[in-house]
Amino acid sequence: MVRLITHNLLACHAKGCTTNNFPLKLQDVVVEVREAEFNADFLRGFLPRIEWTALVNAAKELGDTSLPLEMPEMVDDEFLKNLHHVLLEIHVDEGAMVCPNCGHKYPIMNGIPNMLLAEHEIG
Amino acid sequence: MAPAVTSTTVSLDVDPQNYEDEHVHAVYDQIASHFSSTRYKPWPIIVQFLSSLSTGWVGLDSGTGNGKYLSLPADRPGSVWTIGLDRSRNLLRIAQTAGGNGVTREVLWGDVLGRPWRDGAFDYAISIATIHHLATWERRKAAVQRILQAISPSHGRALIYVWAIEQDDLSKRSIPQSQEYQIAGQDVFVPWVVAKGQLQQKSLSNVEQECRTDPSECEEIKAQEQTSPPPVFNRYYHMFAKGELTRLVHDAADELRLSIGSKADNTMGAGVEIVQDGWERSNYYVELRRWEYQ
Ligand SMILES: [Zn+2]
Repeated sequence: MVRLITHNLLACHAKGCTTNNFPLKLQDVVVEVREAEFNADFLRGFLPRIEWTALVNAAKELGDTSLPLEMPEMVDDEFLKNLHHVLLEIHVDEGAMVCPNCGHKYPIMNGIPNMLLAEHEIG
Repeated sequence: MAPAVTSTTVSLDVDPQNYEDEHVHAVYDQIASHFSSTRYKPWPIIVQFLSSLSTGWVGLDSGTGNGKYLSLPADRPGSVWTIGLDRSRNLLRIAQTAGGNGVTREVLWGDVLGRPWRDGAFDYAISIATIHHLATWERRKAAVQRILQAISPSHGRALIYVWAIEQDDLSKRSIPQSQEYQIAGQDVFVPWVVAKGQLQQKSLSNVEQECRTDPSECEEIKAQEQTSPPPVFNRYYHMFAKGELTRLVHDAADELRLSIGSKADNTMGAGVEIVQDGWERSNYYVELRRWEYQ
């Protein structure tokens, strides 16, 4: 599955593409929401590692605007519930992720993103 | 009895990528479901490592196979998120639901020599029984470097596991050995026998595909399918010699300008500490921790 938790970690690795290669742009997506178990401790621990603006924008691309533009200093339950939903419950099953720099397209099929490169694209 | 392991040599003339495509990736795609049904017990050192991670950490399982580690630690499910990467799409389909309970796992179709992430984005990484499928020292070193680059430069932890020449008494395999392999390791083919009816869908649909493109051969192919003995797939392995994995880590770290040693033993720069290395159940392992001075 490609959920936004994964999307937040991925970057383009095509040959020579080392700047402005994150975040990948979601394109032509088919999305399904599936419930996941809520774990507040996990979210609190992961929070400092998130590239926040990338997450907020990706969520917007998927139609979710529940997150604040700035990472809040005070973390309450409502915020964590929203964060949980955005990170772990929105599944991108089909579509693609496109590099903002070189335009390389990473297709997503059956929830599996194809991050392989052709031999001539490997850096 | 398990079929014998045979020694082999990777010719310097072949392209290692093509070699691995034929002797590793194609094999796993074919045997995926059968292979997966035989792999269920996680090794103790790996279980311990995953149990020791801080809550909230995200990790990469590079060469995840059927994803058997994605649901760990069993005592604190959901406390960390491990994302599985593999070259075999058929194994990834299985990994997506690894661990059961209706939980879906995050998986990526990719190569362990690729780098499709923000550097240092992961808190930990594991590479279990994967690097030994790479056909040259350079490629095995590159795979270790990808692990070191994937994890946080300040606190990232990693565990690497590879097949050892030194085999456990319980192992059913007999390994051809000679003195010179005790340092450089040994390249071997390990046979995998698939019982009829357990082949992956893909190969069956290949037959149908051929039938469509060349109907005259179709009957012949089908007849062969009926009468031929169970297929044997030879997987390529590099069996590691004692000390070889640790040497590989040194070589990988040197090239990335990372010191080897603990943070306390250094006063500046960046490095990687070998937390432990050893042998467990026919495998060598090494546990690493990255550190840096700001
Ligand atoms: Zn790019």
